[in-house]
Amino acid sequence: MNDFFATYGFLMVSMVLGAVLGLSLYLPLMAGQLSLASPGFYALGGYIAAILSTQVFQVEGNYPLSLLLLEMIAAGLVCGLLGVGVGVPALRLRGIYLAIATIAFVEVLRVLALNLEITGGAVGIFGIPQPFQSAIEYLWIALPLLFASMAFVYRLEKIRVGRALIAIREDELAADSMGINPTYYKVLAFTLGAILAGVVGAISAHFINTWNARQGTFDASIIYLTFVLIGGSRTFAGAVLGGMIFTALPEILRAVADVPSLPLWLSQFFRDGRLIIFGFLIVMGTIFFPQGLVTPGLLKKLRRGG
Amino acid sequence: MIQKLLMKFNFAHPSTVWLALTVFLSACGPSNNSTSGAIPIGIAVAQTSNVALLGQEQVAGVKIAETYFNAKGGVNGTPIRLVFQDTAGDEAGAINAFQNLLTKGKVVGIVGPTLSQQAFGADPIADRAKVPVLAPSNTAKGIPQIGDFVARVSAPVAVVAPNSVRAALKINPQIKRVAVFYAQNDAFSKSETEIFQQTVKDQKLELVTVQKFQTTDNDFQTQATAGINAKPDLMIISGLSADGGNLVRQLRELGYKGLIIGGNGLNTSNIFSVCKALCNGILIAQAYSPEHPGAINQEFRSAYQAQYKKEPPQFSAQAFTAVQVYVEALRTIDAQTKVAQKALPDLRVALNQTLLKGQYDTPIGAISFTPEGEIVQKDFYVAQIKMDADGVNGKFTFLK
Amino acid sequence: MNATLFLQNFLNGLSIGSIYAIFALGYTLVFSILGIINFAHGAIFTLGAYFTYVLMGGAFGFNGLLANLALPFRLPFAIAIILGSTIAGIISVIVERFAFRPLRRKKADSLLTVVSSLGVAVMIVNLIQYLVGAEIYTFPPDTYGNLPPAINFGTEANPIPIRSVQVVIFLVSGVILSILTYLINVTKYGKAMRAVAEDQTTASLLGINADRFIVLTFFVSGFLGGLAGTLVGSSVSIAGPYFGIGFGLKGLAVIVLGGLGSIPGAVVGGLVIGLIEAFVPGDYSAYKDAVAFGILFLMLLIRPQGLLGRSLIQKV
Repeated sequence: MNDFFATYGFLMVSMVLGAVLGLSLYLPLMAGQLSLASPGFYALGGYIAAILSTQVFQVEGNYPLSLLLLEMIAAGLVCGLLGVGVGVPALRLRGIYLAIATIAFVEVLRVLALNLEITGGAVGIFGIPQPFQSAIEYLWIALPLLFASMAFVYRLEKIRVGRALIAIREDELAADSMGINPTYYKVLAFTLGAILAGVVGAISAHFINTWNARQGTFDASIIYLTFVLIGGSRTFAGAVLGGMIFTALPEILRAVADVPSLPLWLSQFFRDGRLIIFGFLIVMGTIFFPQGLVTPGLLKKLRRGG
Repeated sequence: MIQKLLMKFNFAHPSTVWLALTVFLSACGPSNNSTSGAIPIGIAVAQTSNVALLGQEQVAGVKIAETYFNAKGGVNGTPIRLVFQDTAGDEAGAINAFQNLLTKGKVVGIVGPTLSQQAFGADPIADRAKVPVLAPSNTAKGIPQIGDFVARVSAPVAVVAPNSVRAALKINPQIKRVAVFYAQNDAFSKSETEIFQQTVKDQKLELVTVQKFQTTDNDFQTQATAGINAKPDLMIISGLSADGGNLVRQLRELGYKGLIIGGNGLNTSNIFSVCKALCNGILIAQAYSPEHPGAINQEFRSAYQAQYKKEPPQFSAQAFTAVQVYVEALRTIDAQTKVAQKALPDLRVALNQTLLKGQYDTPIGAISFTPEGEIVQKDFYVAQIKMDADGVNGKFTFLK
Repeated sequence: MNATLFLQNFLNGLSIGSIYAIFALGYTLVFSILGIINFAHGAIFTLGAYFTYVLMGGAFGFNGLLANLALPFRLPFAIAIILGSTIAGIISVIVERFAFRPLRRKKADSLLTVVSSLGVAVMIVNLIQYLVGAEIYTFPPDTYGNLPPAINFGTEANPIPIRSVQVVIFLVSGVILSILTYLINVTKYGKAMRAVAEDQTTASLLGINADRFIVLTFFVSGFLGGLAGTLVGSSVSIAGPYFGIGFGLKGLAVIVLGGLGSIPGAVVGGLVIGLIEAFVPGDYSAYKDAVAFGILFLMLLIRPQGLLGRSLIQKV
């Protein structure tokens, strides 16, 4: 069992972080806004943590958790401010236009990261100090973050703000005429998503030991979008589940390839062609689960049944 | 009602099965297709993603090493067995591959990963687990310093690059004006260009322009035009094979006639298929030459040619070398205590200590390591590309 | 900047821009009909280049399932590019049939179609890698016959060399764009296609079979994508399975700049982005991508309908 945690500890934490990233995309979607900006904020949060921990706080030995928490707060703050700054003009756009604008935002951030001195250019920042001895221990930070954000979103859906967001998603014009200020609520949801992504980035920088401009690219936008749309975009449980499944999927295929009794060509295919399967499953997921794997109806039934 | 529920539950079916499989697998421990008794060496390089061009050369190199050393009796009679895990092109992929090798693969040591950035992510994992890592292609500053268990067989750029500038000056002592091009999103090219630019200054040459590009670019006319207009008599390019080759091609097509120096990223026969006849004359500093006279290199070269019908590239030779270092260090250990009798954690620590002390006669020449894990390599080369008239095949001819 | 450099950059920009235009037309045709961004378009671009390469008798490297495979014949470039692009068009139709049509039948959210197209892109890219490896493939040097490597647009003393390939590309693009404009504006099929783009329900009332035109659109889109891929591939080289992905993103900037769904917009957007990129000074070329996407971002904020787009109608 120890081996299991050693092998899959990294993956488990990645899954939890993936779930939180799913939530960061889910938040603007609550108001019907498709934003792909999360990877940009994720990258920014990571850089903040990487720079703070390697250049500002110079600590010998084990990196104190308190500093990590401080970095997470700093990352959240900066990403939140930038989120407001980008959100106010960008959220006048809708649908695919907003999606494209946020893709552009992510690309511009990436090019900046590649060119600035402080981000270490293409090599990035490395030797990021470790608060924990093994990957699995990152669960001490990641799990509370996931639960806290799940609780937060759950709560949010019950109160006025959440209902306002959903009203905007269902019909923006109608919501506006009911006295809900759509811009305010859309920017709010976008900013909350930005903060979450930034905080996850801060943890990830420590978690993967290094940070560079290859983190948080367009590819990542796509993967996060897959998390939410296939997991289910109408309930936060969908985003969480989608984040976990799709983070794990390539690794699961890797494990399947090692099944001893498989014919050689098949295990070869699972190993070298596993991303083909990944793409195929995305297509199948959209076709057969257009509402996502987890739908509000399903949850209701489960509640009644159980 | 219950039936309906069950049907709804079916959605979870595939993923549940997979999760169960994963658990099942890890419970069985290492995969059973192992040849019993063979010593597992982990290979974690990029077999997929856009880094795969380099990764597949490394796979070719280590596969030849496996066949070669097992034909020679492996580790004093015990064969070695390579365990492959694809790192893809990112850091998370490298970390997952390393984790798999460390625990499920039960490897004695790891060869990999392909990119320096990935090394900064994954090497600390192996270091904490006290498993030796030999980097076959990580040339960035700071790799051996990641930890005690990290060493590399790929010479850092600072050592290799200046040779080619000296060679260019030997060919044409009139050179005064130098234009430098580099791929800015590539960690390796970026550190290499700094060395080149320093060398240019040290040689009292004039740096007339520095042009940047991206490895993902394919049109370089803006850079090429600007470079040519600065009227240089030497151009130095740090990039990878596709972009570097295209840049050379476009420079030549636009009429640049002077000497061109290519960085280490252009040091592969892959470039022949990009700039074809226009590759002719590029000077490249190398950490490997297929024409190295050593016996083991000649055997490696002919095995490679027999299988792949072309000269072995540096990445394959370095990957071969990494496996060789493990095999020879294991032989040394085995001569004292049988490897099979050693507990895995002890074997890994012993392997790390032993390999750092050894001297190796490899395809890339005689090498050894500093206590920190940096390679000490004697032979560096400057080669000039000579293309055949048809522009399809070419070779690196080595300058004295 | 002196006149020589200006002219040189201008001609380069036109040539690059005309490829962007062809590529972006494929995007925008699909957008105008289905209202989705087809992210598989970048992968189709890559496929087109590979198909033409194979049809010209090119052999594969030693990696992948099809290692060392080559056709026993070699077609001339002019035929290979048309055939290769046609196959790319057919693939595009297959993609539509299996990845998009089921979603359309279910009247699924158009965002799901976007995700589905991304899944297709992931599949195609990795399938290429699985089959033929990640090697770089280059078209034969005599692809364009015996043209000199560069054509001098200046004088002997003050040369303004432009690579011949770029000139050819510019001319080919011009021809293709004219044909396409004719087809869309004059022929019955073109008019019907525009009618479907305008409003599917009304079009079907008028007796136009929407599915047939969607298939036709995807074919044309794939054809244009494959053609652009081949042209770029012949100018530089096929730099592996990820070759078209960067183009796919750049294409987004182009169609938004010109106006999503606008056919003349795609052409103007392509030329503008090509020219702007050509005039980014070499020292700052690292920021080239940032410039394109920065413009895209600003354009969306100031004038989301693009340069030539109609003002946005709010669909609720």
